[in-house]
Amino acid sequence: MKQQIIDSKASLGTTGEADDCLFEYLHAELVNYVLSKSSSGTEGEEELSRLEWMGFSVGYRIIERLTREWSRFKDELDMIKFICTDFWSSLYHKQIDNLRTNHHGVYVLQDNAFRLLDKVGASNSKQYLKESPRLLAFTCGLLRGSLANLGIISTVTAETTTLPSCKFHVQVQKI
Amino acid sequence: MTIHNLYIFSKTGTLLYYTEWNRLNKSGITKEEEAKLMYGMLFSIKSFVSKISPLDSKEGFLYYKTSKYTLHYFETPSGLKFILNTDNASQTARELLQQLYREVYLEYVIKNPLCQLNEPIQSELFKMKVDELFKKSPLFLSRSI
Repeated sequence: MKQQIIDSKASLGTTGEADDCLFEYLHAELVNYVLSKSSSGTEGEEELSRLEWMGFSVGYRIIERLTREWSRFKDELDMIKFICTDFWSSLYHKQIDNLRTNHHGVYVLQDNAFRLLDKVGASNSKQYLKESPRLLAFTCGLLRGSLANLGIISTVTAETTTLPSCKFHVQVQKI
Repeated sequence: MTIHNLYIFSKTGTLLYYTEWNRLNKSGITKEEEAKLMYGMLFSIKSFVSKISPLDSKEGFLYYKTSKYTLHYFETPSGLKFILNTDNASQTARELLQQLYREVYLEYVIKNPLCQLNEPIQSELFKMKVDELFKKSPLFLSRSI
């Protein structure tokens, strides 16, 4: 949490408030728009998968630019590490707090103060926990898209038990 | 020094948020009625001040003071109104209200996509942060009575 405060202050000086918020506001509207489009009025899988697909396309494109200066990655773990550090800090102003893997294609990326959630809820309240998946669907797609362009076909799911921390489970599909 | 209570009104006069810390005298009417009364009074004071002012005033109404308490008024260009009642010794409450707007309202209401705007604020995180801000303020010294 403390780290986050320092980060946002530092970025205020260099990039300005609007720059910082633009993504957050746009993302919020994106979520609202997609959900309002749903015909049944309930929050089904279909709406979230549309968000996820948007994330996928964005992630697929973003990775081209972010890896411009990089040499090729050694292996899968190397790519995931890149996602946890450079990729995450350029998008969410911080690095992934914890990375775990079973070395058989399952990676768990944990962010203790995820940027899209840290204005929403605190750890001691269960409020908004039910609504949090809709705020994570885009990012799941983002991860999947980025990895896809790096050559890893995967499925990404997110889980939250206490806001504002969340875990992304990356399951690599072996071909 | 004491902080009594806080009202936040929207542009259209909806009571977005109310909280109190050291309020000894209850108004005896419901919260909704009290909010309407408060908003009506502020609305009148604002137009009174702008009509009666002999000079062009930039900020308009800032605060009023009775023998017992001071009401501090802070309005944003977007029409959001913050009202804080303190005792008469608290001079810097206006800065506190600006800080509340900048660091709490903007961060935890505007940036929370699940918060409906212009409706009473439900977010528990917001409530927590408001409490935190006021309790750490030097103005907040509750005298136990």
